[in-house]
Amino acid sequence: MLAGTEFSLPDLIRGVPQLAMPHLRMWHVNAVAIGWLSMGYVASMFHMIPTLCKCDLYSERLGNFTMWAWNILMIGAFCTLLNGNTEGREYAELGAILDVIVVIGLVAVAFNLYMTIVNRKVKKLYVSLWYFLGSLFWFPLVYVIGQRTFVALPGLNDAIIGWFYGHNILGMWFTTVGVGMMYFLIPRFTKAPLYSHGLSMLGFWGIALFYAPTGTHHITQSPVPEWLKAIAIISSIFLLVPVLTVLTNFFMTMRGKWGMVVTDLPLRFAVTSCMFYLVTCTQGPFQATRWINWYIHFTQWVVGHAHLALLGTFSFILTSSFYYCMPRLTGREWHSQGLIRAHYWLKFLGFTLMMTSLTTAGLVQAAGWALGYPVDQWGLALFPYWFLRAISGFMIVTGQCLFAYNTYKTLFTPRASADSTVKAREVKV
Amino acid sequence: MYGYRLGAIGIVTTFFIIIFSTVLMPMVLFNPKASGRGNDYKVIPLSVGDAARGRQIYVREGCFYCHTQFTRIQDRGYGPLVKEGDYVYETPHQLGTARTGPDLTNEGGRFPSQWQKAHLISPRAVKPGSIMPSFSYLSEQDMNDLVQYIQTLGNKRTVTAFVTPPDEYLPTTPQGRGLAARKTVDTTSDAAANAGRGIYTQNCAACHGLEGKGNGPNAITLEKKPPNLTRDYYKQYPDEHWFYRISEGVTGTRMPRFQSVLTEEQRWYLVAYLKTLPKEHEETIDNLDQLNVVEPTHLPVLTKQVYEPHHGKE
Repeated sequence: MLAGTEFSLPDLIRGVPQLAMPHLRMWHVNAVAIGWLSMGYVASMFHMIPTLCKCDLYSERLGNFTMWAWNILMIGAFCTLLNGNTEGREYAELGAILDVIVVIGLVAVAFNLYMTIVNRKVKKLYVSLWYFLGSLFWFPLVYVIGQRTFVALPGLNDAIIGWFYGHNILGMWFTTVGVGMMYFLIPRFTKAPLYSHGLSMLGFWGIALFYAPTGTHHITQSPVPEWLKAIAIISSIFLLVPVLTVLTNFFMTMRGKWGMVVTDLPLRFAVTSCMFYLVTCTQGPFQATRWINWYIHFTQWVVGHAHLALLGTFSFILTSSFYYCMPRLTGREWHSQGLIRAHYWLKFLGFTLMMTSLTTAGLVQAAGWALGYPVDQWGLALFPYWFLRAISGFMIVTGQCLFAYNTYKTLFTPRASADSTVKAREVKV
Repeated sequence: MYGYRLGAIGIVTTFFIIIFSTVLMPMVLFNPKASGRGNDYKVIPLSVGDAARGRQIYVREGCFYCHTQFTRIQDRGYGPLVKEGDYVYETPHQLGTARTGPDLTNEGGRFPSQWQKAHLISPRAVKPGSIMPSFSYLSEQDMNDLVQYIQTLGNKRTVTAFVTPPDEYLPTTPQGRGLAARKTVDTTSDAAANAGRGIYTQNCAACHGLEGKGNGPNAITLEKKPPNLTRDYYKQYPDEHWFYRISEGVTGTRMPRFQSVLTEEQRWYLVAYLKTLPKEHEETIDNLDQLNVVEPTHLPVLTKQVYEPHHGKE
């Protein structure tokens, strides 16, 4: 189960825009999406799926192979993206060779985990497993479709597929695995049975149906076919259904146990994550409607929304899962509860600050675009928000450094520490 | 075991239905023909720089993270609206998602190439307050190609619909009605036009020229030339549109927003004056000979005549 310890720290800061080269942005997106969240997710699944199936991982060697493949991939991505070797497609910047490594890694992971589930000792599939199974099937396909490495499509078709991928890397991977992890962790922490399996099934099928076609809502105002925009917007609004069922389920499971949030730190991460999930997923459908999109699109509001999803929701649940899995994998208790607490508060406050500044900056920008003023007339008005965001980013990175230090102290294994801290340094710039 | 299989089949079917509807269907049904306004980079001549290579640099440097390449209905002053067929040669697409900087759809020709280059090397020197990073590390060739690419953007788009003043200036909105209610100046009167003449000379003539032909002394320095306000086109301008342009300036040009300098009343005087400009043929200024020659100033003889302030009401 070595793969369980594999992780890299995210580049959660974009810093003051003058310092941040667009290259840094590419690296940031890919480091967060492929490096931090995906690797962390796979690591968590490598622990959770065998636990839920009450059997061993199908193949340890395959697991180790994927770990090395992905770490080599991230080194490759670091070298290429910072030098501008990009495909120029947002969220799909990685070059052809790296794409192939990602796909090999994903297929290996999927095969490994599917075989684990086939060999399971428990007959009934827990809802988390449904989510994991779905994601492991969807994501490699979405990734292959989304890369467009070997095909050259004309501009707008390229954009349609690009956003199919760009949104489904969230919808069919980050969200579904993240929610699966919430389903696993919350009942574990609270030691309460899940409120309703019926609701969880409704949530799962809702997400499976409504998430995938939403991509085009990113380009509602561009000249792509109207029917496609309509499908995207309608399914975006319908997404409220699975989100609310899922959250009702969690909050009802938490019934009478809210006090535990004070003492149980991993649970606190998980509950914060649920709260942010509620916010981000109520924001999303409204943003997707034409009227709000008309005003908000192209601004930092959307950036705030993206951070709310990836950082607020999925990064928090992933951290919670790390705090849960690590002692169970290594048999060692966490080095310091104080550090966990500091990590939580730095991350939580840093993120709240970031969200506020991004959203406000977004509103300023939205007014600027809507009134048709030239950018240089209101650009300077945004400066305080950039500054606040830089501070918040610094807080989050500090939190993550504490986390890395804590992990290092807990594990006493030089490899993990070298891996994680070096990456943290690299991306902080 | 049955539930497991059913679930797996369900996941697979759902997913493929979605892929069919949102990925394959658009690919088959949506095939825009080239509109003739997009750039086919393969046929652009390599005079100074290679636009196709410039596009690769645009991609490599990640310009699309902050600059979008599609105009929307509400984007006043960013040029004509884009059409499906404009994008057939754009692979990978550079539509962009966030505008930290301005939209570049119709950027070509807005500024001289030297300006663009200076802006890439040191953005804040030519555009104070910009937060664009400096790209001074690009090689000379890279920079030329990139500028060449920027200059091709939107150059072939033709104007089919003209900008109208925003709703806040029209009597359809409360703001517009308020504006009309506060308007005490009769913009058709000679007196108002006379009052506007002085304001014009002080604020506008430096670029627009004494007769509004766009040939003021500053015109030679501007790539985006001041318009010749004597053209037929400007004769159909309603008062609100003149007022809007004076108040808020023109995006993408050096025309400032005069609402911070002039009062509402002064702006209406100016409107009255602009409407009296003679109708003439189009004229733009490209060389020094055509500029207004500054005549020696003759100070008026001082008399005891008292000048009364003008309020526009007779």
